[in-house]
This record gives sequence, C-alpha cells and structure tokens, in this order.
Amino acid sequence: MHELVYFARTNRLAVAGALMLLAILVGIAVVPLWLAYGPNTLAVSERFVAPDARHWLGTDLFGRDVLSRLLYGGRYTLAVGCAVVALAFTVGATFGTLSGYCGGWVDALMMRLVDALLSFPSLVLAIALAACLGPSLVNAMLAVAISLAPGFARVARGQALSISARPYVDAAISMGLPHPHILWHYVVRNGLGPLLVQASLAVGSAILQTASLGYLGLGAQAPQAEWGADLAANLQYLDRSPWIALAPGLAILATVLAFNLIGDALASWSNPKTRSSR
Amino acid sequence: MRRLALFLALLCLASCQAPDDKAQLQTLVIAVPSDPVGLDPATNKAEPVGSEVILNLFDTLLAWAPPAFDHLEGRLASQWALSADGRQLSLTLRPGVRFQDGTALDAQAVQQSLNRAARLNPFLAASFRAIQRIEVTGPLTLRIDLAEPMPTFAALLAQPQAAIVKVAGLRPGQQPSGTGAFRLRRYSPDNELILERNDDYFRGPARLQRLVYRVIPDASTRRLELRYGGVDVSPPISQLATIPTDDIQAFAEDHKVQVVQARSQIIRQLDFNNDNPDSPVHDLRVRQAMAWAVDYDGLVNGILGGVVERVYGPLPTASWAFDPAMQATAFHHDPAKARQLLAEAGYPPGRLKLTLYGFQGAMWTSVATFLQANFAEVGIDVRIEQSEFSLLRARHVAGHFDIALDGRQPWYNDPDAHITQGYLSSLARSAMTFRMPPDPALDGLIVQARSVADASLRKQLYSQLQQQLMARVPAVYLFSNKLILFKRPQVQGLALNSAPPLVEYWSVYKEGPAP
Amino acid sequence: MNSFLGRRLLTAVPVLVLVLLMIFTLARNLPGDPAVALLGPDASEQQISALRSQLQLDQPLYVQFGAYLGRLAHGDLGMSLKTGQPVLTEVARRLPATLELTVLATLLALLVGIPMGMVAAMRVDSLLDQALRVLSLAGVSMPAFVLALMLQTLFSIHLGWLPISGRTSPYYITEPVTGLATVDFLLAGQPAAAWDACLHLLMPTLVLGSFLAAVVARYVRNSLLEALGEPFVRTARAKGLGEWRVVGVHALRNALLPAITVIGLHFADMLGGAILTETVFAWPGVGRFMLDAIHNRDYPVLQGTTLVFALLYMLVSLLVDLLYGVADPRLRHRGH
Repeated sequence: MHELVYFARTNRLAVAGALMLLAILVGIAVVPLWLAYGPNTLAVSERFVAPDARHWLGTDLFGRDVLSRLLYGGRYTLAVGCAVVALAFTVGATFGTLSGYCGGWVDALMMRLVDALLSFPSLVLAIALAACLGPSLVNAMLAVAISLAPGFARVARGQALSISARPYVDAAISMGLPHPHILWHYVVRNGLGPLLVQASLAVGSAILQTASLGYLGLGAQAPQAEWGADLAANLQYLDRSPWIALAPGLAILATVLAFNLIGDALASWSNPKTRSSR
Repeated sequence: MRRLALFLALLCLASCQAPDDKAQLQTLVIAVPSDPVGLDPATNKAEPVGSEVILNLFDTLLAWAPPAFDHLEGRLASQWALSADGRQLSLTLRPGVRFQDGTALDAQAVQQSLNRAARLNPFLAASFRAIQRIEVTGPLTLRIDLAEPMPTFAALLAQPQAAIVKVAGLRPGQQPSGTGAFRLRRYSPDNELILERNDDYFRGPARLQRLVYRVIPDASTRRLELRYGGVDVSPPISQLATIPTDDIQAFAEDHKVQVVQARSQIIRQLDFNNDNPDSPVHDLRVRQAMAWAVDYDGLVNGILGGVVERVYGPLPTASWAFDPAMQATAFHHDPAKARQLLAEAGYPPGRLKLTLYGFQGAMWTSVATFLQANFAEVGIDVRIEQSEFSLLRARHVAGHFDIALDGRQPWYNDPDAHITQGYLSSLARSAMTFRMPPDPALDGLIVQARSVADASLRKQLYSQLQQQLMARVPAVYLFSNKLILFKRPQVQGLALNSAPPLVEYWSVYKEGPAP
Repeated sequence: MNSFLGRRLLTAVPVLVLVLLMIFTLARNLPGDPAVALLGPDASEQQISALRSQLQLDQPLYVQFGAYLGRLAHGDLGMSLKTGQPVLTEVARRLPATLELTVLATLLALLVGIPMGMVAAMRVDSLLDQALRVLSLAGVSMPAFVLALMLQTLFSIHLGWLPISGRTSPYYITEPVTGLATVDFLLAGQPAAAWDACLHLLMPTLVLGSFLAAVVARYVRNSLLEALGEPFVRTARAKGLGEWRVVGVHALRNALLPAITVIGLHFADMLGGAILTETVFAWPGVGRFMLDAIHNRDYPVLQGTTLVFALLYMLVSLLVDLLYGVADPRLRHRGH
C-alpha cells in the first residue's frame, strides 16, 4: 500500500492515465442504465441531428443516438481488447515459459515458431482468417491475439531463462520437487512483473489493431456498436457532422493513451534505474 | 561544401514550378477505385474500369448516340440493317479507318476480331451464343448470321467487349492495337494508366492530349483529391459503392466540384433463394410479408437520400419497356399486413430467423442495417453477414442462402439485359440469376419477348412478364442507383451514358482558369 | 563471427519453410474458387474445371506444396492467377515503392526518436520529459488511418504544402529505371519532378514512421537512464566533460543497442502498417498488392508477397543481431 502511494506520487502521468481509464470504465458500465435511446434504434426522420438536449452527442446517418453507441460500443471494444490480451497472454506466456524452462530442442523449436509468426504482419493474418472463416469480430480477435502472442512468448521466455538460472531453482530441482510445482511457484510467480507490463501495453495495441480491421470491414459487423468500426464508417462525415466520428475516435485515443501511460510507468517502475524520483 | 549545398538548393527551388497551365489544360486526371482487370476486349469480363478504358482505346461497330444515348449510331460501321426475319445483320464499314499501328480496317479484320472475342470471352458467350457465322461479303461489308431471331443483337455490338481489335500478328498476352481516340502510353499497375491522343483518329483528334487514370482505392482519399487535389473527374464507377449524398451537398455549397447525374438501369434488390424447397422463403406468404415490411420511402429518400430511385419491379423506370401500371400495384410499407401474412404462414414474431448476406461497402452496409431494422419490426430476426465479392458469388451460385442483397447492372440498353439472364429457368444455376424454378409458360414468354421484332408487341409482352414475375415475388426490388459523376468546373463536353455507365472522353476538354 | 552468421542463416531456413507452410495452408483454405474468381460468373463448368486442372488446383495439398517448394528452389514464384504474369516480376515492380517507405520511415524514426529520447532522459522528470512522454505515447494511441487523415487535412488542405496521395503528380512522366520515383526523375533530368516525388513521400513516411519513432524514443529514454546511472558516467562527469559529450558520446553508445533491437522487433508491425498506409495514400507497393491478392484469391501472389515480407523481416532481424554483436564486445566472441 505504502509502495502504491509512493508510486502514485512519483508517476503523475500514470495516475492521470488511471483516472482517465476509471472514468471511461464507470461511464460505459453505469451510464447506459439511464440512457433514453438504445444503440440500434433507428429513426429515419432524425438523421444527422447536431448535439442537443435530447441527443447529447447528436445522431448518425440512421438517426441512432451517438452517445448510446459510444457507451455500448465502449463495452464491446474494451471487452474485445481485454479478451484478446487475455488469450494472447495465456497462450504466449505458457509457451514462452515452458520454452525457457525446458531449454534445448524444445526451446529451439518453439522460438522458430515464434519467429515464423512474428514475420507475419497481423493485418494479413486477420484478413486471411476473415476470408477463411467469414468476417466477424471473433475472427478478428483471434487474428490479433495470434499476432500479440509471440511478444508475450518472448518476454516469458526471457524471464524463464533468467529465473531458471538462479541457484534456488537448481536447489529445488535437486531437492526433487516436481517440475510443475517449480514452474508455478518459482518461475511464474517471480517472472510475472514484466508480463503484466506487457499486457497493459498490449490492450492498447489490441484495440488499435481491431480498429484498423474495422476500417477494412473485418471487425465488428453491422450494426454492432464498436468504437473502431464506428470511427471508420463515419470518417467520411467529418466535414459536416464531425461529432459522429469524433466521439469514438477520441474515446479510442483516451483509452489507449490511458493504458499506455499506465503501462509505460509500470515499465519504468520495474527497473530501479529508470524509476522516477519526482 | 556549404556553398555547394546552397547552390543545389537554389537550383532545386528555381526549377520547382508547378506544371505550366498549358499542360494542365491538356491533361485530364480521372480517379478510379481499382485497377482495370483487362484492357483487351476479349478478356474483359464486364469489369467497369477496364471497360471504360477499352471504350477510349478501341471502337465498337455501333454505339449509343450522345447526348441522350437512346438510339444506336454507326461508329466503325456506317450502315447496318437487320433482315426481315431478324436472323441476319448486314454491316457496311466506314472507309479510311486505320488501327493505331497504321493498318487499314477492313471486313476481314472485323470478322477476326468478333470471332476471337466470341471464342475467348465467357461473358460474351452469353450474348454471342446466337452467332452462327460471320461472313465477309466485300472488302468493307460483312454479314452476321444468327441462330434465332434477335432484334437486340445490334445493341450487343455496342458493348465494350465487342470492340474491334487488330488480330493479325497478335501474340498471346500482348496488348492488341485498336482504332480508338486514345492510345495506351503506359500502364503502371496499382498506380496509374496513361493514355495519349491518337492524332489520326477517324472522327478527328480528341481535344485532350492526355488522360491519366489514377487508381485510388480509398474512398475518403478520392474525395479529398477531388475537392482539394489534382483529380478532375470522378466517374460513376467510383461512386457506386458509396453514398455520395453528403458530397453532393458539400459540393453544392462550395462550387469547387460540379455534379452530373443521370438515371441508370441498375437494379438493387433483396434476392430470395427461389430454388430451395426447404427454405422458409419458399412460402409465397413469407416472401410477400418481407416485401410489405420494407420502408421503401425511408430507404430511398432517407438513408440513401437523393442518390437512388425506387424500383417497382423487374424492370427499372428508366427502361423503355417499363410498365407504369407497376407503380400502382407495387409493394409499399405495411408492417401490419406483413405481420398478418407471417402469422398465416406459421411464423409468430421471433420465430423466423434468417441470415442476410451482402457485399462490403458503405452503401450495402447501410441498406443491410436498415432492412434488418425493418424486418425486426415485423418480428423477423435477421443477422447480417457481409463478405467480399468472390465469396458471395460462390454462395449465390451454390445456392447457400435464403436472402441476400444483390444487384444487376445491364451492359446494353434493352429490357432483355435484365430478364433473360435473371429469370430463365434453364439458366437458374449459373450466376446473377433469381434461381427461378422451371416454368414452361414463363420461360416461353421470356424467349418470345426477346425474339419478336415489332417494338410495340415487345412492350406488351414485357408488360405481361413484369406482372407475372411480380406475382411470384422472386425478390424485393429496392432501388436503382443514379449515375453520379463529379467534375471540376473546368471540364466540359462530358456526356453520361447509362447502359453501360461508362464515359468516352473524345469530346471532353478543359477550359477556364485553374482552380 | 562467421560461425555466428552461419548459425543465424541456418536457423532462418526452417523458419522460412514454416512461414511458407502456414501461408500455403491458409491460402488453400480460403473459400471461393480462384478459377471462378478469374473466369467470372458466366463461365461454364467445363471452363472452370479446365482452368483448375491447368493450375493444379485439384491435386492433394502436399503435392501442391511439394511442387511449390521445388519451383521456389529454382527462383520461380509462380504466376499470378489474376494477370498471368510471373509473381517475381510483379513483386519486383512494386517492391521499390514499399522499400522507399519502410527504409525512410525507419530513418525518420531514428532521427526523431533518438533525440527525443535523449532530451527526455537528460531532463528526466521535468515538465519537458513528461510532455515528450505523453506526446510519444499519444503518437501510438491512435489508429494509423486517423493519423493519416489528420496529416492530410493539415498539410494538404489547410496549408497546401503537400499532395494528398499518390507517388507522383500526373503531369510528370518518366520511364521507370530503378523503380524509385525520385531517383528516376533525377536520372531523366527532371529536378522539378524529383522534388515533387519527394513531397509525395513525406506524409506516408510520417504516418508509417511515427509509431516507430514513439517506440524508439521511449526505449532510448529508458536505456539512457540506465546507462546514466552507471559508474563510468560518473567518472566522465568527474573528469569535467561537458554534459552533451557525456550523454552524446559515452552513454548513447550503450543506449543505441536497445534502439536497434526495438526496430528489429517492430519491423514486422511496420510492414503490416505499410499495408494500411499504402491503401490510404494510394501508394503502389507490395502491401496493397497483398491485400488485393487476398480479395482475388490469388494464391501465388499471396504466397510470394508473404515470402518477401518474411524475408525482409528476417534480413532486418539478422542485421540487428549483427549490429548487436558488433556493438557489444561481450557478445562478439561468444562461440556457440
């Protein structure tokens, strides 16, 4: 707790990011309960209404309430970002840890696989997957997760390698402790730090990549409210009805920036030499 | 060293001037959304960008006469005549026409070109399958023998795919030589296509020196380039997948860009799979219910505001065979009736669940979203699945759908372009059809309507056809895109054809101050 | 050194085969028949099956893959299903455009990112440091197509300094010699056209390089901070050397390593970013070609372009490793 306070005091940027994130989370969790309009209620007579008392952020080309789409879309987008990272983290970290712990040919094989995956641009993978399996958010998520997993694998492997080389792990092995036990209690629990930092930064990346896929029509499918898809679909109205695209756009910017600020501060924190002193 | 750098910088700046006005007035920059897929009429399968370039590189025997494009005029042919029984078309060629490599155009060259196209181009096979033989009857005369009477055949010769190329000495894979107003200077794939004036063109040299087709796949970039950048013309093919309502309003206000509109004969509709007895839409009441459920006015005037027209049946209102009585008997927005019919068919609200397949793109997304809401209102649960062109075509041909959004763009100005390929049951399993089940009476009527020579009799037959087809509700007919062309005020002399919706630039020129 | 190089090259081969296998399987599972896609909707069944057997599409997968590898060994990447031209030629024609962008974007990232990181580290925890950190993080917090639109709106529409899209202005034409527009125009003696081509390069490079620049800045800052805490820095300061010399010469050498590795790590991301950038700016590169190939089910092109991307990535990886080995003496003599 004491450490947390110290962290907060010396990393004002991270605090700002955390507060932003908190505001966003509260907003998308709570406010929809009071909204008058749903995200998919069409009203052909009320298209492109500028922000006013009834529609705080105006309406889009179908007459749907932009605020409602923003908040419901936020739920979707954040859920997607976290799910993608959770998947990438689990798969990547597991492989990487095992790879670093086992060493030898297992390590070599896994790292070749990681290299092969890394040389695939995630966008190509996503498009190909979407073409194979049909365009849907789930497939886009799968593709982004596959593209993020090698990053986790690398970090996890590095951690596993350095921890496995420590004397206390040697001692545990010679004591005859079972490998899964060693893996969990020594390697994983000690090596979690950098992985969590990586995860925090990866959420932002996942949201951005999903947005790019939405731009190409491969993310969330109509009429699902989602920040990336809404932003991409409404950029063309920026001249005359800017609020429709600005809302999801700024939301993406704020959320990703928040995650990045927190992650960046955590990264600096975990290395004593780069730790802030003010 | 420093002095050298300064000198180079000054040299750079000194020579950095914008291209002079004369070059600017002589060059037309056209923005297209994709590369041409084939610049050889014999291999181009009705792909729009390539087809437009072909019309400017080559000539057809006959062409639609500007500015109204409602009748044919001779292009490479000076005279033509259909025999009384409608089975022989005689053509006389214009003398003195040369291919761009200098060779003279004669009847034998035309015969070779048409035979080659019929042999190589599967798209043409559908329309040229009626050709039995092409016979050269003189140095500048030839006769085409048809297997059955076909009054529309002359119109088929105006298609870009039927343009005349020089076949003699042509190696496989080589770009053939044409007679057209422009010649191909360079094609840089994914980037641009440069055409230059053919000074020996038989109608007189074009007024522009150079045409540059710029390939700009991203719609918002195209828009920016048109308003603020160097693009002069955005032809209709660039606007067909978007909803340019906003752009039209914006251009009306700032006068930087002018809008040219024309009606088209395109039909966009919601297809039913008429070929599957297990599908829920096999029941006529379900199809009728869905037709009553659509808010046509909201779609045409609201969502797609001002850039489309309503279509009331199998033929668009712009077709000469359109029966005005269709307007009175067409479906309109009546959710109560829809719900009643659905109940009769055994589908209480929420029971019927369907997947709506559609193409990608802003316009299709909007239409699909709107229809989904309409159907939800009457208790039909519709899930939208959009995918890309080849996937959807495969799905259509295999019949793996219940409802799907699709459209049809005719390539010649005749009602037959919509009817035969769409509704003839023998063609049901090929592409771009409504998968009609076998119906000898209907099929007979279709064949008769296209073979009869007398125009007023044809019109009567097509009226009958429209009514009979509407009674079967093979689709929910939605709208027809207007052809919208954007141009800079400097650009003059443009004429917009509707079928096919392509632009010939021979008569186009630029004048006036640069923007 | 040689053993290091040899080892790295040897390990690259199975990775390449793995990549090829992945893309091969993926491509073959794309629904939608390429024969149908090529011949169009009006082709007859006979024509379609004739084309399929001509393209060997009816053989079992392992036979097709084996044949592909065999041809690859002879430098034959196959023929594009769409244009019928050899894939190698088509890719080679578009490669200079992509290389132009990626190389310049990398240079930009280094030129902008390193000084930014240096300044942030030297003024650590100050307002400037915080501002630079936020700026670099904001740079990676928005989707590329938004950044592109913002730059286009600012530089093309409001200021009118830069062209909106494309590689050259339609009024300048020259024959392609090297495939690089600026060089070709200079060779043809058209300096105005060359300058125009440079202007066209600016925005796509900015968009592509900004993300990498932000990442580089952050890494340089952090590793510089690490280096500045080392004893040798204190020694240098005690010796009375100026701050810039201390940081610029001594500390930077140590900090450059992470900057270089970061580029290696993120290069694949940048190649992916190139796809979107090329689409928005109508840039005729390999990325866009790959995108089209997926839409057209053009398997040979898809395989060929992925191979090229994978090779590029591995080349950069190798270079980074070599540089690392050269720069860090501790690694230089470690034999494996």
